[in-house]
Amino acid sequence: MVPIRSKILIIEDDRKLSAALVSGVESAGYEVVAAGSAEEGFFMVHSQRPDLLLLDLTLPQRNGLDILRQIRKEGLDVRVLILTSHNAIEDRVEGLRTGADDYLGKPFSFPELLARIDALLRRFLPPSPAAPLTIGDLTIDTKTRTASRGGERLDLTPREFDLLLYLAENHGRTVSREMLAKDVWRETSRFTPIDNVIDVQVARLRRKVDDRFAVKLLQTVRGLGFSLREHQP
Amino acid sequence: MTSRLLSPLPSNLRIRLTLWYVAVLAVLLFVYAALVFAFQYVVLTRQIVHDEIQDAGTVEGLLFFDQQGRLQLRQDYYSRPQTHLLIDRLMEVRDLSGDILYRSPTLNGMPLGGPNRSGEGDTSFDERIVRLQDGSHVLLVSHIHSLQGRTLLIRLGYNLAPLRQRMIQFLLLLLVAVPVALTLAGIAGNTIARRALRPLERMAARAEGITAGNLGSRLDIANPNDELGHLARVFNHLLDRLEQAFAQLHRFTADAAHELRTPLAALRTIGEVALEKGQDSEEYREALGSILEESARLNETISGLLMLARAETTQPADQQSVFNAAELIDEVLSLLDVVIEERNVTVLQEGKAAGQASVRAARALLRVAILNVLHNALKFSPNGSTLSVAYVQSEDPAVLTIAFQDQGPGIAPGEHRRVFERFFTSSARGTASESGTGLGLSVAKLVIDRVGGEIWFDEEVPEGARCIITLPTCK
Repeated sequence: MVPIRSKILIIEDDRKLSAALVSGVESAGYEVVAAGSAEEGFFMVHSQRPDLLLLDLTLPQRNGLDILRQIRKEGLDVRVLILTSHNAIEDRVEGLRTGADDYLGKPFSFPELLARIDALLRRFLPPSPAAPLTIGDLTIDTKTRTASRGGERLDLTPREFDLLLYLAENHGRTVSREMLAKDVWRETSRFTPIDNVIDVQVARLRRKVDDRFAVKLLQTVRGLGFSLREHQP
Repeated sequence: MTSRLLSPLPSNLRIRLTLWYVAVLAVLLFVYAALVFAFQYVVLTRQIVHDEIQDAGTVEGLLFFDQQGRLQLRQDYYSRPQTHLLIDRLMEVRDLSGDILYRSPTLNGMPLGGPNRSGEGDTSFDERIVRLQDGSHVLLVSHIHSLQGRTLLIRLGYNLAPLRQRMIQFLLLLLVAVPVALTLAGIAGNTIARRALRPLERMAARAEGITAGNLGSRLDIANPNDELGHLARVFNHLLDRLEQAFAQLHRFTADAAHELRTPLAALRTIGEVALEKGQDSEEYREALGSILEESARLNETISGLLMLARAETTQPADQQSVFNAAELIDEVLSLLDVVIEERNVTVLQEGKAAGQASVRAARALLRVAILNVLHNALKFSPNGSTLSVAYVQSEDPAVLTIAFQDQGPGIAPGEHRRVFERFFTSSARGTASESGTGLGLSVAKLVIDRVGGEIWFDEEVPEGARCIITLPTCK
């Protein structure tokens, strides 16, 4: 899934969160190094030459934005994804203006973090030509915006098609409700009514995609979100 | 600007009041004294002119030419001692060619006035002030008189020195009296100001003692109708509001802690039980999924609290835009479309023309508010029921009323207001499994209050719940 084995540096002072991130990102196939302080992290940016930096903004002693500024001043070629609990729009804007490539507010969903990391690192690769997506006997044609399963055309609303396409683009991975709210519903944040809407929409989509077939493709991963895959994990 | 010119001004209000009072009084007194002085001077001068004219008449009768043809003044005139002024009389008689015919001894040979003027003393008395050679000023009248076939010009005057001396005395008297009056006024003013401001000092002392700890304390109101009583009342109202806000904040913090603790307790218990119980990986999966669900709930509660904080600190002018009210509601309805269909709920919109009103608000926040209200109504709508959205143009053209009526179980008596409280969950509905963070309606109310609108649940409806929102509109 990851064509080039990329190196990721995590600068995060919370040891538990850092350990969980290291373990999770490693099992997704990346090479991971971690630093617990700004100074150490800054040193490792130079010694390890990572392709991507996961940067916590509220570090002891030195602010994460300082490090980012320094890195950009030195012109180092590294993607930067900011992780922070300051989720206001102004913080977001400041982070991106300082030179971050992306921004994720804590607490984030891990599938979303992985998706963002993939997206950031994929920028190095040439984009794949638009071809019909197939997962098992499910085919999605992005040009005509139609989907069929086992040769049978599925009758989908535009929203259902968007949802299915998004799940298919991330197939094999779990998609969280936050990701759906942001990327399919284009809402700025996730809140109770949206969750409700997403759940109902996914249930309806599942009826159309899976009900008449023995192999269930659209699965709910409890606590995480939804996933489109051929086999049970 | 004035205070800058006069700086440094005393900082004490009492002294400033007294100074202003004295200054205004001083100006008034000086103006008054100047007017009295001028009036007195004019009156006395006219009196002198009047006397001179009378005297001129008297003198006419006393003048005669003696055998040598010289003009003489009858000397028995002096036998009347009561006319003391006459001794001071200065007189000169000329003929029309300007030759001096008579000059009173009091002039000591000095001329009285210059050469004859044309028409002098003919039709009027030509009163004027002239300066003698010795420097003294004389108020002079002129009069033409015929005597034994000859025309005489009589000039008669009195020295002004006694008058001026008297006026100077009068002025001195005034100048001594003014400072005395001002000093007395200053003392009186200061005393009055101090007495008037004493309640203020007491209020300040009391107010200084009020802190977050004893917000229940209030200022005494001596007389509720005077200005200080009014101030104290206003101040007490401020304290009322502060106390309420503090109590609300306190309650809110306690509630929030409670609400955060509940999912935390669940997280902990699920984790502990899973670890205690077994090694079955399916059970672990179940427990972990459950933990993630709880953590999502926790996060939503925090997001709700942050949203409330944001709505609370939003200034009315922040991020405002003008937009169509019905369009916003359509947008929210289309977002909830799938839920509406799933529940088989029919949405009826009434009076949509009235809904085409423009509203000025922070659109993103108002959208969340409407979304919460509609989602709440849907949540309690039974399968196959109807949810109606009615737009009503109120009598006041600047207000749009929107009513959301569902066919759900309605709101228990006495809870119509409480549903807007933070973390409120109804005792009657038994909908714990359905409820979200318990902040949705609080957010809605806060946002709509901020916009300048109102939101409430109609207590009169026979069936279901009827949420009414009013929004101020603009053209």
